[in-house]
Parts: sequence; structure tokens; C-alpha cells
Amino acid sequence: MKSVLKRVLAALIVLSMGLTAMVACDKPVDPANAAADAQEILESKEYRDTYKTYFSTSYSSLNYFSTSYATVREIVTNCIDGLVEPDVYGNYVASLAESWEHNDDYTVWTFKIREGLKWVDHTGAETEYALTAEDFVDGIKYIGDPLNGAYSLRVVRNLIAGLYDYYWGLDDIDCGLDTETNRADLEASFSDIVGVKALDEYTVQYTLESSAPYFLSLIESSMLLLPVEYEYAMALGEDFGVDNTKMLYCGPYYVSEFKRDKLIKLTKNENYWDADKVTLNTVEYQMIPDGTTSLEMFQRGELDYTSVETEAYQSLQNGEWADNLIPNEFSFSTNYLWLDFSGANPEYNTFVQNENFRKALQHAVNRTSLGALREPVDPARLVRNTINAEGAIFNSEGVDYTQLEPLANVTNADYSKDPAAARTYMEAAIAELCNEDGTIKGVSAGTVDYLPVIKTEVDGKLPVTLIYVGTDDEDEIILAQLFEAMVEEAIGKDYIDVELAFDTSGDFYGTVGGSVDGPFNYDIYWDSLSTGYADPSGILGRITTEGVENVGAYNVPEYDALVEKALSAETFDERLEYFAQAEAFLLEGAYMIPVISSLRGYHMSYEIPFTGPRCLYGNVRYKGVKVATEALTMDEYEVLEAAWTAGKNK
Amino acid sequence: MTKYILKRILRSLVTVVIVFFVVFMLLRFMPLNGYFPDEMVKEADEATRMAYLRNLGLLDHPLVQLGRFVKNLFKGDLGRSITVYPKVPIATLLVEKIPVTAFLGFWSMLLGIVAGLSMGLMMVRFRSRIGDTLGNGYIMFVRAVPSLLYLFFIQIQISKWFNLPLVYYDDKPLSWILPIVSLALSSIAWYALWLRRFMVDEENQDYVKFATVKGLPKKQVLKKHVFRNAIIPLSAYLPSDLLNIISGSLVIETLYAIPGTGGLLTTAIKNQDNNLVQILVLMYAVVSILGVFLGDLLLAFVDPRIKLTDD
Amino acid sequence: MNLPENKLRTLQKSLEKDPALFTPAAFSLAESEKTGASNYSYWKSTLRTFFRSKSVVVLCAVVAAILVMSFLYPLFSSVDPTKVSINPLDWNHRPSLEHPFGTDGLGRDIFARAWYGCRNSFILAFCIALSDVGIGMIMGALWGYNKKLDPIMIEIYNIMTNVPSTVYLVLLAYIMNTSYLTLFISMASRGWIVEARFFRNRILSIRDAEYNIASQCLGTPMRRIATRNIIPHIISLIIMEAALCIPYSIGSEVFLGFVGVGMPVDAITLGNMVNHGRASFTLHPYQMLLPAAVLCIITIAFYFLGNKFADASDPRNHV
Repeated sequence: MKSVLKRVLAALIVLSMGLTAMVACDKPVDPANAAADAQEILESKEYRDTYKTYFSTSYSSLNYFSTSYATVREIVTNCIDGLVEPDVYGNYVASLAESWEHNDDYTVWTFKIREGLKWVDHTGAETEYALTAEDFVDGIKYIGDPLNGAYSLRVVRNLIAGLYDYYWGLDDIDCGLDTETNRADLEASFSDIVGVKALDEYTVQYTLESSAPYFLSLIESSMLLLPVEYEYAMALGEDFGVDNTKMLYCGPYYVSEFKRDKLIKLTKNENYWDADKVTLNTVEYQMIPDGTTSLEMFQRGELDYTSVETEAYQSLQNGEWADNLIPNEFSFSTNYLWLDFSGANPEYNTFVQNENFRKALQHAVNRTSLGALREPVDPARLVRNTINAEGAIFNSEGVDYTQLEPLANVTNADYSKDPAAARTYMEAAIAELCNEDGTIKGVSAGTVDYLPVIKTEVDGKLPVTLIYVGTDDEDEIILAQLFEAMVEEAIGKDYIDVELAFDTSGDFYGTVGGSVDGPFNYDIYWDSLSTGYADPSGILGRITTEGVENVGAYNVPEYDALVEKALSAETFDERLEYFAQAEAFLLEGAYMIPVISSLRGYHMSYEIPFTGPRCLYGNVRYKGVKVATEALTMDEYEVLEAAWTAGKNK
Repeated sequence: MTKYILKRILRSLVTVVIVFFVVFMLLRFMPLNGYFPDEMVKEADEATRMAYLRNLGLLDHPLVQLGRFVKNLFKGDLGRSITVYPKVPIATLLVEKIPVTAFLGFWSMLLGIVAGLSMGLMMVRFRSRIGDTLGNGYIMFVRAVPSLLYLFFIQIQISKWFNLPLVYYDDKPLSWILPIVSLALSSIAWYALWLRRFMVDEENQDYVKFATVKGLPKKQVLKKHVFRNAIIPLSAYLPSDLLNIISGSLVIETLYAIPGTGGLLTTAIKNQDNNLVQILVLMYAVVSILGVFLGDLLLAFVDPRIKLTDD
Repeated sequence: MNLPENKLRTLQKSLEKDPALFTPAAFSLAESEKTGASNYSYWKSTLRTFFRSKSVVVLCAVVAAILVMSFLYPLFSSVDPTKVSINPLDWNHRPSLEHPFGTDGLGRDIFARAWYGCRNSFILAFCIALSDVGIGMIMGALWGYNKKLDPIMIEIYNIMTNVPSTVYLVLLAYIMNTSYLTLFISMASRGWIVEARFFRNRILSIRDAEYNIASQCLGTPMRRIATRNIIPHIISLIIMEAALCIPYSIGSEVFLGFVGVGMPVDAITLGNMVNHGRASFTLHPYQMLLPAAVLCIITIAFYFLGNKFADASDPRNHV
């Protein structure tokens, strides 16, 4: 066992050294000359004004308040401007808002809107509707109505003062719980209850429930803070956004063509306030459901972008396109193992309450092996021990949140360093929880009913039965099988028995979630959480003991107290420190086990990187992006990246 | 005959109603959780979820829901999709999708019949010779090799050799060729196989032996006598192909990015999109029962031995 | 029975003279079996005709070999087909002595997996073929022959084929867990009715054949006509359907798994192996080679043998 792990380790070290060496001698990028080199590359290229990309799953409606589809969110981001937008380095600059200010504790934000702008329709023609501060107020009014079914509303609903009460007030009326209030009356009192106001025609002010220094990043990432022409949307009712003709636009592009499940075409909005900066005239999205097809189409010049998954990467590695494979840069989404503390499996349930057992699991997972499924060359760059991503949140001194004490210990830990650790922790757990003869204290044989996923017998003895539940996606099955192998190998089959079960209903959360109010049907499952804006509260606030995302139902008052402290902290730096303590507490206790980032593989593209806005939290923006007539090579990419980094640090 | 047809139509209507009712009720047994988008199960609290279900009208008694559905249907309102294409009117969806699938399906059926019957005829004509072997080889290939493999090959390699587009475009007729051929491959094999089988059966009949003994050339015997009789059982299958025309193929539509109805029903069921499932089931039931009915009529029409009457 | 016309006339005359010359005989099973032919045995002749062809013998041997291999290999081999390696260096090995067909994306031995998969797929396919063709044939025979059953059966057929199987399979998966019983119910629930309709249509065509009308006039019970006249007549079709059903079922296992009532999605079956191998086909084609080849051979062999057996079982080919 040990020797295998050693071999893995050795192999990985050799592999990563090889990679570094390869990169190093391939093209030495001198940071001093990077800017000049980058300039040379940019000048040597010819550019065109169209960009053809694709999406793989079907989308239904362009209604940006209710959509959950990534592609639609991307399209809307390019068609409807928010108050602010990121520049090439990710700093927030004026967009529809010319200027903004906030009070000292970041609870009141006032934005001055650009004057004289009009909404345009799907032909690019100006409509009679003017873009005013009222449109931003109306956006909040739209999502505040439960009947409009806004998607992922929670963060915004809890942040904007009064919105929570307004929303549930309307809901009570709809439910029949509140028969005294008239719905129209309550709607009319929106501006009195909810903390969003048009101070004059071109000034909008948000009053927030709590301090939010990260508010601008929320504007970047959330669709819910976008403006809407209320009259127009209400007149269309449910038809709003159903296709491109039933929507108004105010961004750099408008949707000029919309063929369901086939094609969406964005065309440059000539009436856009910043039209000079828009480099591409059209952006075309084709629906290509099959991954191999998009790769093939890229090679035949029919697409300007394609993602390249592990298998395809290996087959392209030595061919004509080898130079054009660009590694995907970063992902703020973290894959983690979610443990169930209230499950119906008595064996596992007894053990999971024990910290040593959880640490045994934490050490049993070989993160580089899991990473190798998605990144064959350098799996180590995927390893992530924290829930919030590195490179996403910084304090006022520019220190990365994940490097704050005591979280830095977790971030920099290497759980695979000591291969015997997992079994040692397990033995400690067994000493506490088991009798001499291997029976588990207080547990008798019985049936575990996780139907509809699995029903199985447990005997109340070692090995501990652990039921891993996953979806029937091909990649996830392989991942689960690898998980089973590595846990059983590290802890020992005499101590643990991992059983795999796969949900085939196609509706994983629906099935694993049990009945609407019932318990969840799993011991352990694989999931992801994403840092959505520049504050740890986005994730950490959701996974407190009472938090909505705490589906495993653990009980950690210490963590809750730290989160509470963070939320009421005086300054942003203090807030981050408390959050770092909270996250470290949760992870050192192994209440949840982050494993790797959700980053996958490589891509090839005709797009010149670092020419468009740097979108950390939100979706890709095409404003200013340059598209060349030749595919980008890895060498060019490295020079451009070095130049960009140098520019950013300046 | 007229009386019989009227009766059959009435009975078909009853079947459609039963089928619809069964599906409608089965859908109401589905777990409530299935109606939530993933995010909602994970994030939303109980009250938000209930508000969502109530807005969809899913908390009413099934019979109330049925009543509402039927009433809307007679008003011409097919409702809106719930989970697959949230909020999109189903009528819009069908108008967009069916023509695409039906167009490709129609041409592939035509190709399947023409090529399949010709191949079957060739196999009988050159029985136990090269033509037969080639045909058998083709049939065996289509049946034996996992279809994903050769469909994939056709898309990637054949398109390269003949310089054809990789995916379907509604304005480029060249891009229609590969999907139509791919769709027809298995039905060509099917028609050829059965025509050959039936014609070989018929060849042993006395009337064929008689015709041969009379001195008619083999070609004429095959064409004028055997083929006409062998086509009888095949005619029963023709109309049931109707359904395939509008229901499409999931694999081929995925490969060629065809915005059609392929796999729509399965997706809708798995996502518990009640409104969409109900309309699709209703539509497919009408079409396929119509197909069976037409098949029986056609059978009675071409085969004088079969009398479809009630007595 | 082709009597010359003059003889027929004399027979008629003598009948008119003395009606007692001919008396109707009671139906007797033994008497009706009496024929002038010498000890002709249908099944013996069928088998003799069947094995006359050399290719049939060879294919039978191939099928037997695959069957033996897939049922004996899992019993006697020590290679664990589910043994995952956590070392990425063991993944996707090319064929070697240790692994004759290489290893898959998690370092599992493909040779072993193929035979385990083969065994699982065979068991599944035999069950489907048995239930579909078996039930289908019996129901089809009754349906085709008995007019009274016709409207009921048509109604059942229409309902069963129009309620999409996904609806009740998804529900079934929701109510029951993945087990062999669930698997069998979901398999047997649908296929038979399609087979029944196929046989019914054939029988409709021969229902009014002269020899059956004659047999009925002679007072043969309906059950006997169905079992002795109709089923043997279409026996060639039955054998062929059954033979074609086996490869088809191996393919359909994927769909059953897809809606959640099939083999567990991580079970080793030929269908699963071929499907999963597609993703890495361009890079590691050998991963799919063995399972796909075995699948092809099984399909071709059963198709060919089915056809040959159908030919051999036609009494007109026995002479």
C-alpha cells in the first residue's frame, strides 16, 4: 500500500517537474519585456469582427430574473448592462452608473445613472422607453414578487432592506394566510418598505440590511440587480423574455436572432453609450450538444472556441493542434464531500459524529488522483482544501483570504503527505466507538432505507458501511469508483466498506433530498459550491447550523458564533479574519471535506485573451474582446499573460 | 364498411381518452421534489418551495387539475412548459420543433422504403449470389455493430470525405443529407430483411410454382406475383412509421444538433414537466392510434382475404 | 385428393342412391393423426436440415465457446474486474501480457470485464427473449385466432404502446429499488405486446386459410387448431424473433439503466462497456475492441442461426 502511494507521489513530482521544465525551457517569458512582446503579438495579428461559439444544453427563455442557465446568463450579461462592470484587470469601472458612493459602513449605496439612454428592441432600434433610475427600482420590485419566480433570490432578498418582508408579505396573501391586506395596497407600498429608491430621475439608492463592501462584485455576478422596463415586462406577463422579440436591451449587444435549441445571434447595439469600445459586430452561439462535434468543428474552422476534455487533450497532444491547447485558468467553484450527520445508516451515523473518523476520511482522499481525472498533465493545480476559492477574495492590504491565519494552515496542508494517517485516525475512532469484538457500541443490525436510491443491510459490526450516493453521469461514476478504491485502500477494507449507489432519475437533488421535508438519502456525496462575489459570506453564511445549505444537518455552534461575529464586524478586514477562523474551524473538524476545484481541462480559441473585461464572479463579456484570424498558441498565451500580470501589478 | 370505420374511430377516441387519463394520473404520483430546479431543493426553504408548487397549480386535487387542463385545451390553450423549457408556451415549442423532425423523418422514411425494398428485391433476385451476400452483410452490419459507433463514424469521417457540414443548418440542404441517411440506415435494413423473408416464403407457394411451370421468366414472377403478395404484411407497418416521423431520434438529433422533438418526451418525463408530457402523450397517442387504424384499413384493402367487419 | 371428374360423378350418384353409404365419424385424435407418410419426425428433420450447413456448425461452436467462456471465466479466474487503481500511471494501459486487452480509465482489466459483462448481458438477454417471445407468441396466437379477444387485445395494445414506458418505468424506479425483480417486471411489461401484435398480424393472414376452415368443419377443437396448425406454421418466425431478440435485448439494457430500473449503472455489462468506451474511442480504441467484437459476433451469430433455423424448420425444405 505504502509503495503504491510512494509511486503515485514520485510520479506526480516527476510529472510536475517535467511540466515546469518544459514550460521553462520552451519559451522563457521575461516579465520586463512582456509588455513589448505582447504588443508585438497583438500587432502581428489580423482581427475579425465575428465570434462563433457554442453551448451544449438547451435554454428556454431569456428572462434574466428567472433563468438558471449559464448560457442565458452570459447572453444577458452582454445585452443588458449593470450599474458597474469590471475592466481588463477586474477593477470596477462605470457602466450605466457614471459614478457612485457609499456611506462609511457600506450599507447605503448611491449610483448616478448615465443620462439620456433608451432601451432598444430586437432590431436594434431605439424604443420610447428611457433608461432611468426607476428601472433599477423596478428590477427589485419584479424579483420581490413571488409570482415572478426569481431564480436564486436568497442573497439579494436578505441583503436589500425590507425586501424579505415585502416578499413574504405578498406570499402570505397568495397563500391565504393573510386575508386582511389587499395585494395591490402592499404592492403600492413597495417604495416605503423596500430599501431601494429613485432619488431623482437619474439617481438610484440601495439601502442594505447589513454592511456589504462587496456590493459591486454582487452587481457583477447577480442577474437580480439588473434594470427592467417594468411596464413593458408586466404587459407581457409570463411571455417576458420567452424569445428575443419579447425583451428590451441596453447593453453592447442585442439578440437579433433566436432559434430555439439551435442558434442565438448577438448583434452590436449601435445606440450603445460606449459603442466605440465594442470590437465584435456579431457573437454567434450555436447549440452543439456533443463534445466531439464541437472539437471537430473548431478544427474545420467552423467555430472559434472549443473546450478540450482530458481524453481529447491526450489525443491532440502530439498532433497538429498541440501548440494551441491552452489550460483553463481558474474556477471559483470547489468540489467537496458533503457528509450527512442525520442519515438513516446507524453504523456511519455513529462514526461521523466522531472527529477522528472524519479526519480519517479527510486524509484518505487522494486529491491528486481525483484531479488526474480532469487534468492529466498537472493534477496538483486542482487541489483545493478550502471552500472559498483562492484568488477570489482579498483584504484591504491585498492579502488573499485563504492565506489569512488560521485558514492558511488548511489551505497549505498536504493531506496525502502521510499515507498511514488515515488508518491511524480510523484506529483512534474505533477505539472510542467500538467494543473489543468489533461491534459498534449502541448499534444493532438493521436495514438502511435510502430509497429510491438504495436499500441495504448493515450488521452493526466493523467494517463501517458508508453509502456514497452520486448521479449516473459517466464521469461521476468513475469518480465514485475511484473514491471507493482510495478510501478502502487508505483506511483498510477491514475497517470501512464503501457502497456506491447512483441516482438514475436525472433529478439528483430531488431524489437524494427525500420527500419535501424528509431526511436526505445519503451518507456522503460529491457536490460543489462557488464563491459568487468578493465575500466569504456567500458560502459560509449558507452553511451554518441553521443555514439553508446545511443539508447534512451538522451542529457546530462554535462555527455559527464565528460567522455571527464576522457578519457584525466593524471593518472588512476584521470581517474576513473572523470568516477565516470560522472556515478553518469547520474544515479542521472535517465537517465538510473540500477536495479539488471544479476546473476542467483545456480549450482552444481564436480569441485573444486579456483583451476583454476580467470577469471574476460574473459571466464572460465580449465588449472589447479581440478575435484573431488564427488560433492562439500556448506561447502567445504565456506572453500575453505575463504582460497582463505585469500591468495588473502596476 | 362505413359503419365499421365510424365505430373504429369512436373506439380510437375512447383509447386516446384512457391513455391520456392513465398518464395524467400516473404523473400525479410523481414525487413533489421532482418539480424543483436543483438549486431550489438545495437552497430554498420550505415556504419558497410551497409557493413555487402552488403557483404551478400542483397542490390542487388531481381532478381539479384535470378539469382545468381539459377546459384550457378546448379553449386552444396548450399551457406552458414547467421544467424543460420553463414558461415557454407548448404550442410555440411544437410549432418550432415538429416541422424540423417531421421533415427529416419524412425523407428518411421515403429513403428507407425505396432503398430497403430495392435492396430486398435485389437480394431475392440474386438469391444465394453476390447481391444476396452484400445485402445480408449490410443488414448484419447495421444490426450487429453498436449504432453509436457507425453514426459517429458517418458524422465525423464521411462528412470529411464528402466535405459535408458536421451539423444541421436549416438553410443548407447539404447538411440534411447525413442526418437523413443516418435515420434511414436501420429502416433500410428492416424493410430489406422482411421483404426478402416474405418473398422467400411466398416463393414456396403453389401459385408461384405454377407460374414458373407455365414458363414465365423468373424476373416477371418475382415482380408480378411474389412482390405483390409479399408487400401485404409490410403494408401494416407503413403507417406506424408515422409516429417515428414526428417523434424523432435522440441520438441523431444530438449528434447533428437538430432542434427537433427527438427525446423530448423522455426528457419531459424525467424532468416531470407535466404539461409538456400530457400534450405530447395526447399527440403521440392520436397519431399512433391513427397509424394502427390506417394500417388495418390498408391491410384489408390490399389483402382480399382479410375482412375487417364487426360480424 | 384430386379425383378425376368421372369418378366424382359416380361417387355422387351412389351417394344419392344410398345415403347410408357414408356415415359421419366422431372426432378421434388418434385417427386424425393417421397419415400415409412413413415415420416422419418434424423435429428430427428440422435438426438434420439445420446442421447440414457447415457455417451453422461453425457458428454454433463460436456461440458455444462465448457462452462457456462467459460463464466459466468468472468462476475460475482470480482477476477482479472491479479492482480500481488509485495510481493514474496504471490507467489506460495498452494491451500487454498481464492485461491482454489493456486497462480502462481506472486501471481495471478489460479482458476480465468483457467476460463478466458478457455473462451479465446474456442472463439479461435470455430473460427478455423468453418473456417477450414466449408470452408474445401465446397471446398473439390466441389474439389472432379468437375474434372475441380482438377488440380487448387491440385496446390493451393501444394503451400499452401509447402510455410511454418511461412514465411507468420512472415511477417503478421511484417505488422499488434496483433489483432483478424490478428489472424483470420492467422488461416483461412491454415487449410481449409488440411481439403478440406481430404474430397476430401473421395469423390474421392465415386464419382463413383453406386447411384451417376444413379442419374447423371437421370439428377439430379451436385449441388444437391453434397449437397444431397455426403455431407450427409460424414456427420459423418464432425462432427467428427469439434469435433476433437476444442481441436486441443486450442493446436495450442501456435504456433500462437510463430510466433507472436496469442493472445498476456501474454494473459490468457489454452495453455499458461499449457506451462508456465511446468517449475514449479515438484515443484508446482497444478499450472498446473486445466488448464491441463480442457484441458483434453474438448478434451476427444469432441472426444467422435464427435465419437458418427458420429455413430448416419449414417442412417444405425437408424433402
